Amino acid sequence: MILAVERLTVKRGGRVVIGELALDVAAGEVVGIVGKNGCGKSTLLMAIAGVLEPSDGRVVVTGASVWGASGERRRARKDIGYVPELADPPGFLLASELWALCAAARGAPAPTPDLIERLGLDELRELQLDRMSLGQRRRTCLAAALLGPPQLLVLDEPDNGLDARRLEALETLLRDHAREGRGALVATHDAALLDRLSARIVAL
Amino acid sequence: MWMRVWARAVVAPAARRAGAVWEGCAIVAAVIFGRTAMHPRDLTGLAVGSPGVGAVLAATWVLLMLPSARFLVRGDAATYLRALPGPTWTPRLAAAAALVALQLPWLVLWLAGAGARGLAVIAATTIVLVALARIRPRRPRPRRAAWKTATRALAGVYARALGRRASDALVRGAGLAVLAGLTAGLFVRNNALPPRESAAIGAAVVAVVLAPGVAGLVMALLDAHRASAWLAATLGISETARRAVLAAVVASIYAIGAAIASAAAALVVEPAALVYLAPAAISAAAGSSLFATRALVRVEHADPRTTALRVVIGVIAVPAASIVALGLLGPSGVLALAAAGALAFATAKGPA
Repeated sequence: MILAVERLTVKRGGRVVIGELALDVAAGEVVGIVGKNGCGKSTLLMAIAGVLEPSDGRVVVTGASVWGASGERRRARKDIGYVPELADPPGFLLASELWALCAAARGAPAPTPDLIERLGLDELRELQLDRMSLGQRRRTCLAAALLGPPQLLVLDEPDNGLDARRLEALETLLRDHAREGRGALVATHDAALLDRLSARIVAL
Repeated sequence: MWMRVWARAVVAPAARRAGAVWEGCAIVAAVIFGRTAMHPRDLTGLAVGSPGVGAVLAATWVLLMLPSARFLVRGDAATYLRALPGPTWTPRLAAAAALVALQLPWLVLWLAGAGARGLAVIAATTIVLVALARIRPRRPRPRRAAWKTATRALAGVYARALGRRASDALVRGAGLAVLAGLTAGLFVRNNALPPRESAAIGAAVVAVVLAPGVAGLVMALLDAHRASAWLAATLGISETARRAVLAAVVASIYAIGAAIASAAAALVVEPAALVYLAPAAISAAAGSSLFATRALVRVEHADPRTTALRVVIGVIAVPAASIVALGLLGPSGVLALAAAGALAFATAKGPA
């Protein structure tokens, strides 16, 4: 199992957003999270990615707890590649610097020329993130998330801001990622995208 | 109407940029001028009589005012307003008048110190300022980032935040550091302080004058610290490591500021005094910088409306702590400062 979420409860401002949720992602599987606006999709992904601490429950990635003791936590997070909904890393960084930061933290090599070409990032590598469109920023963050590559990809509305060509590239990347025995968790409103990815759907 | 728009869009932001310079100058004036201390004519006389001191003083002033001058001469708002079909000479005259008015401390110094002859110095520095402000430096090709560890990468991220988001504050901070060194040096020299005393008092003076220059830099660091929080969390960079890197970068800013100040002080003090002053100023600055880092850690998740005020209070805590420790304990107060700073930093808790 790549991801196992057990009895996860997340509160925001005293309100229970996610209550005792169980979820798993097997090797080679893409799981789609669907639900109406405000139902807690982003909150769930943030708790799984290690950004928002849950009030109860466990998130285990490749056998290590995302919210466990420091060594275990570090091991778990090295296996996660996360792209948030707004794809908003520090805007003053160049794309190449974001990749260098992620590569250093994961002990991974820089993105391969093939990955850069597939995501259409060759022209953007020396561009500052706050001068990019949402779609360009999202692709840059996706390249950063894929460094390693991680066992689990956690993508929050990855199709937002992407044109048809880039959406196709994203689908191919996700399919390849799953085919190599890794997992992906994708929150989206686009049922057709999940259908094309043959994703198992979890409704919140 | 035109002038009102010009004043609000161009002059007011330029004046805000000059605010830290005025604060620094007010502190310097309080330290080196007074009934029993120097008269402005002593300083202008020193600047005219000693070309080295004069050149450093003028260059420092140009450095301090350059961010404001750049905003008046070729800032986005000024460039846009000049492109509109409106009067040609009025904005130029308004910019020139604003540039002279924003140099009020320099005007007062030279008019009080050298009378009408001071006007020539003011005119010369203003011309140099305008010439430098008109230059558009070519953006340097970014150095390729190749970080080996996560903490080095994070330090590199903070350094880039300073270079790309606070370049004006860096220039102003460097200028104020030179001014801090000259002030400390003049204070030591005018009062004929023995070397050991010059260390404690000089380091305290440097800490006080550096404060307005550092505020803009730590605000840029706070923005970078906040913006990189989710990225660090998801990459498995611990909160302790994030804070340690932030503390190291803040300490470096303070230490570099104090080193620049020490180099400037070397122009006016004897080498025997400098041997004590420089290490005391640098180590006091680095140790007490932990108070400023504590403020940054505590406001990371705070209400944005109170952030700036709380950061400024943290920045002011640095010279306050330096004055208390160095005043009570002399040069050995540096160790007490480092210990108190470490304690303040270690006990800092950001609100959940």
